[in-house]
Amino acid sequence: MRKILFILAVLGCAFAPRLDAEEVRVSASLNKRSVQVGEDLRLNIRVTGQTMNLQAPRLPALDGFEAYYTGRASHIAFVNGVSSSNVEFSYTLIPQRAGRFTINSVDVQVGQNVLRTEPLEIEVIGGQAQPARTQPSPQTVPAMQAPAPMRTGNDQNYTVSPGTDDNIFVQAGLDKKEAYQNEQVLLTYTLFTRYDTRYEGFEREPETSGFWIEEFPMDRDVPRETVRTNGKRYVKADVKKLALFPTAPGNYTIKPGSLKVSIREEPQGSSAFDEFFSDSFFTGGSFFARRQNRLLEPPPIQLTVKPLPEERKPASFQGAVGSFRMTALIDKDKVKQNEPITLKMIIEGDGNIETLTRPKVPALTGFKTYDADTNSKLFQTDNVIGGTKSFEVVFIPKDEGKSFIPPLEFSYFDPRQRKYVTLRTPNFPVEVEHSDQAFQMPQELAGNSIFQKRVKSEGKDIRYINEKLPDISKMRTSDTVYKALLWGNALLFILLIALWMKDRQDRLFSKDEALRRRKTARSTAMANMSRLKKLARSSKEEDVALFFVELEKAMTQYIADKWNFSTYGVTRRDLEETLTAHFGAGDAHLQDVLELFRLCDESRFGKGSIPAASKKIGLKIFEDAVNRIERMRK
Amino acid sequence: MRRFVLFFLIALCVGPSFCVAADLPKTFQEANTSYRTGDYAKASELYESLIAQEPRRAVFYYNLGNAYVRLGALSKAILNYEKALLLDPRNADIRANLNYARGLLEYRVEDTRNWYIKATGAVLRSMTEQEVNTVALATLFIFLAGGILFFLRGRGVFWSFWRRFLFMILLIAGLVVFGKQAQDNLLRDAVVMQKECEARYGPSEHDQVAFRMGEGIKVFVVDRREDWSRVLLTNGESGWVKDSDIAEVKI
Repeated sequence: MRKILFILAVLGCAFAPRLDAEEVRVSASLNKRSVQVGEDLRLNIRVTGQTMNLQAPRLPALDGFEAYYTGRASHIAFVNGVSSSNVEFSYTLIPQRAGRFTINSVDVQVGQNVLRTEPLEIEVIGGQAQPARTQPSPQTVPAMQAPAPMRTGNDQNYTVSPGTDDNIFVQAGLDKKEAYQNEQVLLTYTLFTRYDTRYEGFEREPETSGFWIEEFPMDRDVPRETVRTNGKRYVKADVKKLALFPTAPGNYTIKPGSLKVSIREEPQGSSAFDEFFSDSFFTGGSFFARRQNRLLEPPPIQLTVKPLPEERKPASFQGAVGSFRMTALIDKDKVKQNEPITLKMIIEGDGNIETLTRPKVPALTGFKTYDADTNSKLFQTDNVIGGTKSFEVVFIPKDEGKSFIPPLEFSYFDPRQRKYVTLRTPNFPVEVEHSDQAFQMPQELAGNSIFQKRVKSEGKDIRYINEKLPDISKMRTSDTVYKALLWGNALLFILLIALWMKDRQDRLFSKDEALRRRKTARSTAMANMSRLKKLARSSKEEDVALFFVELEKAMTQYIADKWNFSTYGVTRRDLEETLTAHFGAGDAHLQDVLELFRLCDESRFGKGSIPAASKKIGLKIFEDAVNRIERMRK
Repeated sequence: MRRFVLFFLIALCVGPSFCVAADLPKTFQEANTSYRTGDYAKASELYESLIAQEPRRAVFYYNLGNAYVRLGALSKAILNYEKALLLDPRNADIRANLNYARGLLEYRVEDTRNWYIKATGAVLRSMTEQEVNTVALATLFIFLAGGILFFLRGRGVFWSFWRRFLFMILLIAGLVVFGKQAQDNLLRDAVVMQKECEARYGPSEHDQVAFRMGEGIKVFVVDRREDWSRVLLTNGESGWVKDSDIAEVKI
């Protein structure tokens, strides 16, 4: 039974739906498994598969660590319209205390799905204590713990919601009120506080549908300054910065979400203002300090997104907005026919580099072209997101002679100059030598299935008729086998029933000998009768006497079997009494039987010659007696 | 003289079948040539005549189905592909062309049956009735032979596991035979042959129309009343249609 279950399980596995090889996968890794307290540790979250437009995942609360987002790097390959990407988000973790920690699963939003990484184990061993840090804190985002140079700002006025504590508030602001589609807008969260404050991160994420968001990595030491506003002096610090790229024109209301901070209960008095700026401010406070959490909710912000101008929009424009430079190079300018040349284009600049697409390759008659790798790397300069993105295109010349790889155009809209700019790659001349080798996938591309063109159906129609007449003998053979099995089974079934009945009879007879003799008496008598018939046909004189001897034996055996007498011990008197009891004393047939016994005796003892005709009569009497007794017994 | 008469009688019985067998390949080639040259009407006639002579060859129904597709007679094409599948159920070409022809139909019926009914149907349809019966008979043969050997030798022939395994296989084979019989005889497949066919709530013109179907739709006949048949669709709809509107898929 277990074997059958095993077979079924194997079959189940074999028919189970196959996993899609192109599915998106996420993984997390650490650059080391054991670190000292205060030593930097890199956490990488890698997303592989067919995905684009990923946003940096937010880390869960990491007990015993400070965490900083440090940027992303991506590698994307486009082939025949199919993209496979590999994006890596990097974070720096700084352990605060020794021990063994588990970094919990990180949720990564991929389209509509949320994928999770595996938890990671890390061992933090005691090391040099961080001189500037205080006791361990539960912060999950940059904490403003280390002392920093402070500046005194101008007196400004900010609106604080009525009914709220005006000793601490957050302002979310954009660096511009109007922007073009795809142009970067900087969203800054500025904290104003008169308390000893620690920033804990977002309690509720900002609602920014319609924007592509890129988070700015924050420095460990948050710059801060003192400002005077609404007649009070505050410490002001930019605690969070997000780069927003609007994907469509329109009027947007951005809800900035809410930030969580923890504060010491009493605000710092003006007399203690110097202390306010001491190490205890923006720290965990004194060891015995009592802290409470506050949620700070900045008011919504309005933004107008203008569409890109249609006037003088180049044909090669594909949505890039910012300020870019492009360089291009080819790996060789002298090749043989069917040998690949790789053109590499690098676009560098400010803007949302992730959304840039490869410059279009015009239709070329003399070349086969294949899309190859795309790599991108993001970085931040001041308050601007930028980076580099490189595209590779493989050209395989089909014809010999002098040729050239035509310029490829890349256009972008520069929002500062409010105009479109078009960049071109140089016109690369190439010299193609003759080669007899037929086209085949270049070795550097072979084996990588993404470079192979896909076989796809180009139309639908019925399949052609079958013009071969199938072998009729196969049909006949199967018909014959079927019929043979049908009849064979019928015969086997009858035989099995017969054997079963015989087996049952044998079992019964083995238990009851009298029954066996009674049941087999007739068949034994019939066998004897056929032997006697042969003997009756003999014309020899001595066979007449033998016939009657055998007839007497057969009759005696039949009657003894029928009434369970001993064949050898039964007397003539026993036989006569038994037959008389069953036939009745005056029965004519009984008299015939008794006469036949006497005739047999005469023959045996030679008292007179018996005519040969008596043999037939004797047989007839025996046969009639058997038939009559059989009927009587029933 | 008596020998001559005997020979004559045997020739009279066996002769026609040989004549038919000898004529088949020639007609088949002629039909194929007609198809190849685009004379689909003649090809269909010749394939029909071949089927009349030898109705148990899937290739004739398949080629006839192709000829009907070319002629635009989709219901006839689908009927013949279905018949071809009865004889050769694992032929990929027949299935592909049947699916193609169904894709050209005006109407489409969703299959809302439970997955296990679909799976069972698919498994049973992947074998002919004779194949199912042959497998069951072969299993029964082994089982009976084992029983006979048991009585003759006085002890079990197979090991305990294999005896049970064989018995289970026999049971499964019996179930499959039963299922196949039920599929072929209880739910008889049919194809709608009319361009528009009205299914009614009862077996008369006075009954209200339940739904409408187009040609080529496959239905299951579950009941009959005089000139009407009650049909069941794979989406669960059921109604009465005229016998003349449908054609049963049978050889």
